[in-house]
Amino acid sequence: MAIAADTRATSGPIVADKNCEKLHYISPQIWCAGAGTAADTEFTTALISSQLELHSLSTGRKPRVVTCMTLLKQHLFRYQGHIGAYLVVAGVDPTGTHLFTVHAHGSTDKLPYVTMGSGSLAAMSVFESQWKPNCTKEDAMNLCSLAIQAGIFNDLGSGSNVDMAVITADKTTLHRGFVKPNERSQKLKNYKFKRGTTAVLNEKIITKDDIGKYVSVHELEATGEERMDIDP
Amino acid sequence: MRGATILKASDDKTRQLNKHTLYIQANAQLYSMRNETDLSPTALAHYVRGQLATSLRSRKPYNVNLLLGGVDPITHKPSLFWLDYLAALAPVPYAAHGYAQYYCLSILDKHHHPDMTLVQGIKVLEMCTDELKRRLPIDFKGMIVKAVTKDGIRDIEFNDDKVVKCP
Amino acid sequence: MVGKDCVAIACDLRLGLQALTVSNNFPKVFQYGDNVFLGLTGLATDVSTVSDLFRYKVNMYRLREERAIAPSTFANLVSSSLYERRFGPYFVSPVVAGLDPKTGAPFICGFDSIGCIDFAKDFIVSGTASEQLFGMCESLWEPNLGPEDLFETISQALLSAVDRDALSGWGAHVYVIEKNKVTKRLLKGRQD
Repeated sequence: MAIAADTRATSGPIVADKNCEKLHYISPQIWCAGAGTAADTEFTTALISSQLELHSLSTGRKPRVVTCMTLLKQHLFRYQGHIGAYLVVAGVDPTGTHLFTVHAHGSTDKLPYVTMGSGSLAAMSVFESQWKPNCTKEDAMNLCSLAIQAGIFNDLGSGSNVDMAVITADKTTLHRGFVKPNERSQKLKNYKFKRGTTAVLNEKIITKDDIGKYVSVHELEATGEERMDIDP
Repeated sequence: MRGATILKASDDKTRQLNKHTLYIQANAQLYSMRNETDLSPTALAHYVRGQLATSLRSRKPYNVNLLLGGVDPITHKPSLFWLDYLAALAPVPYAAHGYAQYYCLSILDKHHHPDMTLVQGIKVLEMCTDELKRRLPIDFKGMIVKAVTKDGIRDIEFNDDKVVKCP
Repeated sequence: MVGKDCVAIACDLRLGLQALTVSNNFPKVFQYGDNVFLGLTGLATDVSTVSDLFRYKVNMYRLREERAIAPSTFANLVSSSLYERRFGPYFVSPVVAGLDPKTGAPFICGFDSIGCIDFAKDFIVSGTASEQLFGMCESLWEPNLGPEDLFETISQALLSAVDRDALSGWGAHVYVIEKNKVTKRLLKGRQD
């Protein structure tokens, strides 16, 4: 199972992020590609990921892709399309490999190959002309990459790099920046300003010691196993 | 004023907050009693802003614009705050609300300076009201002027009857 | 803006109602720890509300955890707090800048009004002059700028951008954040 996405985020005609992550983790063997309202795809997938983790912990089974898809569609249908998350759900579970699309209003599709977002038409044209059943992992990755590149180069809403996640029965590999066809070339000269260019009216240097005036600051020595395990 | 009808010409729209709404007056008084000291203007301004900000996202928001003037009870530093119905708060050297802003702010900008005296201040205020009489297309019903000093609040006599003619 | 072992964050000082300037002393950058900073643009009332809200949340975090908040933790706090208001958002687009308290690595990110994080390695812009700022930063910024050069770059980018935006300007604050010190500078900007 291969799932891929471009890395452009836009707000209106402005490119807000040139290298964002649109492939979202749901569970080790289930990944989601998001389109639509970025915050909604981010938080909906995080919410469902959490629910699915708890569900698999309580049942003691690996999460299934259909379960994920059902949780997503029920959540999105409840919000009547106001949560603008358009998702591709892909994964491998004990029942086999599965691929779904979930729309913001709650409708779903189950197909052998799917596309979503503004670049979906460009990407689908590649699939429709080149997809063959039972292809190898390398062929699938290559086809996905070509489909996303079709979007990157022919659709203005898509751009930058190709991200890809390959899910097999035993492991998932995330290829962040699988193809980078739009690297910016090194600047030949620079616009560095001479120091003192900017007129400054007032300058204040705040050091850590200044805070000691108001509260007592002590650096605490960590003592072996007593130390809490934080921010690994 | 209700619609186009004037109900009362001499309503005093200023309120002494440490002696807008009765609710805020009551809370400011409560603070004074509890802590045996008056709330500083900055603290009070932020408190009022908090109330207004909560009200803004409620079912029936308050529709009031405020100017808060005060003198700090400890440092004796005077301060003025501009607060609109959206609960945007800004400390300012001079301020106005409503249509008057468009006329007064430019005058204040030209004539205000940080260490002017009360007499000079009243003079600038008079320039503002003169301009309002000249330019604002509404019947001018007069002003209530108060001075906030470190010793308290006192009313200032203000000549409302001065006739200003358009040039 | 990210530099070599330092970050800078800057804002203009204008507060206005459409075309009418109400105040020219309204900073939009707030400090939440030794080296965690938040910039807020958008509706003035929400700039105040949100900055106060995070001051409360960060103080509660510090009391509960008995340690200062890290910029990346703070970014996730901002994100989830904004998404909480998904269908009645605060009209702000925040920017977080800081240094990781452990590694000292620079961290910056931006958000939309409903909390989607935009992680960037170079710079984040926001506000009415964001289009101008995108152009300035994209051309002036380069990797591994030292604190002094970073200050010149961010200042010139901001000043040039706000001069082409009628709604921004009236002075500027620039913070350069380094491992053991923060330098706050008030810039001389056009007053029109």
